[in-house]
Amino acid sequence: MKERASDTEVEAVIASLVEMGMDVHRSTGASRIVLGVVGGGKADPRLIELMAGVHEVLRITQPYKLASRTFKPEDTIITIADLRIGGDEVIVIAGPCSAESEEQVHVTAAAVKRAGAKILRGGAFKPRSSPYSFQGMGEAGLQLLRSGANAHDLKLVTEVMDASQIEVIGKYADIYQVGARNMQNFTLLRELGRTRKPILLKRGIAATMEEWLLSAEYILAGGNTDVILCERGIRTFETFTRNTLDLSAIPIVKELSHLPIFVDPSHGMGRRDKVAPMARAAVAAGADGLIIEVHNDPDHALSDGAQSMFPSQFDRLMAELRIIAPAIGRSICLEPVARRGWAR
Amino acid sequence: MAAELNLEALRNEIDQIDEVIVRLLDSRARCAYAVGRLKHELGRPIYEPAREAAVIAHVRQVNQALGGPLDGDAVARLYERIMDEARRIQRLEADRDARDKAKSDSEAGL
Repeated sequence: MKERASDTEVEAVIASLVEMGMDVHRSTGASRIVLGVVGGGKADPRLIELMAGVHEVLRITQPYKLASRTFKPEDTIITIADLRIGGDEVIVIAGPCSAESEEQVHVTAAAVKRAGAKILRGGAFKPRSSPYSFQGMGEAGLQLLRSGANAHDLKLVTEVMDASQIEVIGKYADIYQVGARNMQNFTLLRELGRTRKPILLKRGIAATMEEWLLSAEYILAGGNTDVILCERGIRTFETFTRNTLDLSAIPIVKELSHLPIFVDPSHGMGRRDKVAPMARAAVAAGADGLIIEVHNDPDHALSDGAQSMFPSQFDRLMAELRIIAPAIGRSICLEPVARRGWAR
Repeated sequence: MAAELNLEALRNEIDQIDEVIVRLLDSRARCAYAVGRLKHELGRPIYEPAREAAVIAHVRQVNQALGGPLDGDAVARLYERIMDEARRIQRLEADRDARDKAKSDSEAGL
């Protein structure tokens, strides 16, 4: 309650809370009165906030249930064959923005595998800001990506833009990605909730962490428990970078939720020279994985060339991450094949 | 050694006082329950601010006459807790009544 709230105002608030079926705990402090409210009623906090004398209404419980740590205290670990996402190992997803040609997919897949990535990324259906930009290769692109992933023993993640694509993408990909622009496409989220493949859910460009977790809740509520959250930058007033990569989301989401969280520094920064520092920071902050755009020839990429790393830059980044990860008790691709890539 | 014995004795005394307090709280809760039933019959609300203010004023007055270490505000805060619980007892009873009524209505085919 406000400091100068009158007795009548306090009484009116208690009366309406009691009427809603809530139990009220009144605490009179030195300068203001605090009303603790407990109950299973469906009170809209805004209705209380509008009452005279109310300073603010703080909600203690979260509106999401299945996604919250209260519901499931232990971390969720998602298993895809031999791969464990959300465990001690930091998992790196890398690959081109879009599948463009057989050569491009295979050369890039080989390069990211050598450097230590475990999952190949690549788009076949591209959500571009402009309808005149390259829209992706469609199912032919999915075939290329799957053969590139198989040839180099990588898992595959690709974006699903619409519920109508779920079936065809399901034939090729191991993980469905929901892009930032679709984070609140609730019909798509509901449909994905019915699938039994992991979902990489990117944070919307202007979404709060609570909205993001509520989107995850849609998928979880459908019975699909394998949701990976992915921070990819939010829109702020800063124009130097494409978006502002919100690394503060990592420790906060880790506290609020049991779901694994990845970071996409490529889309967050929009410039390849700024990707590595943010990738290092993300791992240091406790991200469970990264998703990074790597292209065998970024200067001639059909989309997002400016933010795609050269394979040599990616190699170097992975070597750095192998030093950072153990500092916080994590590992990152320790297999011999990767060590060869590191020494090169 | 003597101080330790004293501490022990005082703690025993507190335990005995607590037994009395809980018994008194029990009696008070039974009264509050009966009041809740009557309020329900009379169609009066569970929360009656004027009555709560009167209860606080009364206990403040009783406390003041004692002149002990608890000040009036402290007694008021303790009584806020006690009345929170009394209100809860009355609310639970009202909920039970509402459920029973709904059940008998549906059994009667209303």
